[in-house]
Amino acid sequence: MSYLSFRLSEKMTAFITFVVVLALPFILSFNPYYLSIFISALILGSVSLAWNLLAGVCGQVSFGHAAFFGIGAYASALLVIKAGLNPFLAMVAAAMLGVLGALIIGIPAFRLRGPYFALSILGFAEVMKLLTLNLTRLTEGSKGIFNIPSLPLIKLWGRTFDFYISRTTNYYLAGALMFAIYLLIYFLRHSNIGLAMTAVRGDEETASGIGVPVFLTKITALTVSAFCTALMGAFYAHYIHFLNPDSAFDGSWSVMPIVGSLFGGIGTLIGPSIGALVIAGLDEFVFKRFFETGHKLFFGLLLAIVIVWAPAGLLGKWVKKK
Amino acid sequence: MLEGVNYALYCLGLAFVFGIMRIINMAHGEFLVLGGYIAYWLLVKWGINPLLSLPLAAALAGGVSFLNYRIFLQRIRTTAELNTLILTFGIGIFLSNLYLQLWSADIRNIGVDWMENPLRLGGIYVSLGEIATFAVSLAGVLILHSFLRRTKMGKAIRITAIDRDAAALAGINVERVDLLAFGIGGLLAGLGGPLLGMLSFVSPGTGIAITIKAFILTVLAGVGSIRGLIVAGMILGVGEAMTVTFFSSSYRELFGFVLFLVILLVRPSGLFGKRI
Repeated sequence: MSYLSFRLSEKMTAFITFVVVLALPFILSFNPYYLSIFISALILGSVSLAWNLLAGVCGQVSFGHAAFFGIGAYASALLVIKAGLNPFLAMVAAAMLGVLGALIIGIPAFRLRGPYFALSILGFAEVMKLLTLNLTRLTEGSKGIFNIPSLPLIKLWGRTFDFYISRTTNYYLAGALMFAIYLLIYFLRHSNIGLAMTAVRGDEETASGIGVPVFLTKITALTVSAFCTALMGAFYAHYIHFLNPDSAFDGSWSVMPIVGSLFGGIGTLIGPSIGALVIAGLDEFVFKRFFETGHKLFFGLLLAIVIVWAPAGLLGKWVKKK
Repeated sequence: MLEGVNYALYCLGLAFVFGIMRIINMAHGEFLVLGGYIAYWLLVKWGINPLLSLPLAAALAGGVSFLNYRIFLQRIRTTAELNTLILTFGIGIFLSNLYLQLWSADIRNIGVDWMENPLRLGGIYVSLGEIATFAVSLAGVLILHSFLRRTKMGKAIRITAIDRDAAALAGINVERVDLLAFGIGGLLAGLGGPLLGMLSFVSPGTGIAITIKAFILTVLAGVGSIRGLIVAGMILGVGEAMTVTFFSSSYRELFGFVLFLVILLVRPSGLFGKRI
C-alpha cells in the first residue's frame, strides 16, 4: 500500500481539530476582523456537527436548519430584552424552544418516509421567517432588534472575561460550545440511541423489524440537533447584538452546514466541522472575490461535485469510520 | 379559481418527476424561473410577445433539465435517496445564485398592455392576461395527460412508474424513460415560468418558494394524480385568496403550509392518492 493509505482515528482527528482551533489566533492573528470571521466559521462548524447528527448518523436530511438557528437567536434576544433573563439562562431556554420547534415539524413530517421531512422543514424555515417578519409587536418585524445585550462578565480564577468588547473571549466561547456539541454527539453516537440511529439510516424497514423504534429515534436525532443549532443561534444573537429576520433565518444557516458536512465527510463525526471551517474560509477569502453577489453559486457547485464524485468527502478517505 | 389551474401547471413538472422516478427535483423552481427570465428578456430586448416565447422558454428549461440529469443525476440515480435530494438542492442553489449574479436581485414582471384589458364574464371582470395564462395552463395539463394515455412513449413512462423492474424486463429502456421524464419535467417548468412572470413576477428568490409550493400541492393532491393536482391547485388558490381577504396578505404563504401539515397528519396519502 502506498504511504497515502495511513488512517487517522476519529478521536485523533477531532483532537487535532480542536488544538488547531485553540492555536489559530496565535498562529494567524488576533486582529478583530479575522477573529470575527473565525467566530462565524466556528458557529457554522457547530451547526454542521448538529446537522450531521441528523443527516450523517440518522439519515434524515434537513434543508431548513435556519429555522432552529433563527428561533434560538430571536428567543434568546427577546427573553433577555423583554423578560430580563440572564443571557446564559436565556440561551438554554432558547435552545429548549428550538426543541419545541423541532417537535412541531418533526411529528407530522416523520410519519412518512422519503423526502417529506426534507421539504417540510424547508417550508418550516420559510414560515418561521414570515412569522418573525409579521409579528411586529414581538419581533419588531423587518426593522430588527438592536442593542441585544452581550453575555455578562465572568470572573474565573481571578480573571475577568468580558464578552462585550473582546472578540477573543467570544472566539474561545464559540470554540468551547463546538467542543461541547462534539462531545454530546460523540457520546450519543456511541450509545444505544446512536446505534438505533445508524440502523435507521441503513434501512428503516429492517430497523423496525428488529425492534428499533424508528419514529422515536428520528425525533430524538432531530430534537438534539435542533437544540444545538438553536443554542448556536442564541450565541450568535448575543455576539452580534443585532437581529433581523433576514439575518437570523438566512438560507446560509441551512445551506452552509450541508456543504460543510458533505465536504468534510458525512460519515464521520468531526468531518462536518472541519468542512464548515474550510468552506467558511474559502467563502470569505476566495469565493467573494470572484462573484460578489452570487458567491453562493460555488456552494451549489461544490455540493453537486462532492455528492457525485466524492461522496465520502474530504476526510472520508483518511478517517476511519467509527 | 383560475389561478388554481396555473398552480397546477407550476407544480406539474415536480409532481411528474416525483411520480415516475421518486425523485424530488429541488431545482424545479429554478427551472421555472429560468423560463420566466427568458420570456422577460425576449420581451424587453426585442418586444416579443411572451406567449410566443413560451416554446423557447420551455425548450431551454427542458434542455437544462435534460443536461442536469445526464451530467449529474444519472450517476447517482441508484444510490441513497438522500443523495438525489442534496444534489438537486445544490443545482438549485447554483442556478439561483447564477441568476442573482447575472440579472441582479430585482423582481421582473412581464407586463404587456393588452393583458390588462378587462373582460366581463357573467358578472365578474377577468383580465385578458389571466384568461391567456389559464388557457395555456389548461392546455399544458391536458397535453401531458393525453401524451401519457395515448402515445407509446407515454405508456412506457406510466409502466415504468408502476414497476421499474417489470418494465425493464418487458424491454422498456428505463434509463431512457428517466432521461425523458426529467426533460419533460424541466419543459413543464419552463412553460410555467413566463406565466408566473405575467401574473406576478420572477426573481432569483422565487424558485425555492415555487419548489415548496409545488411539493405542498403534490402531497395535497396525492402522488401521481394529475386530476388531483388541478383540484389541489384550486383549493390552494382559493384558500390563499381568502387568507388575504380575511387576515392579511402577509399570511398568504402560511395557509398552504398549515394545510400541508394538517394533510400530513390526517391523510398522508393526499386527497386523490392511494393509501400508503
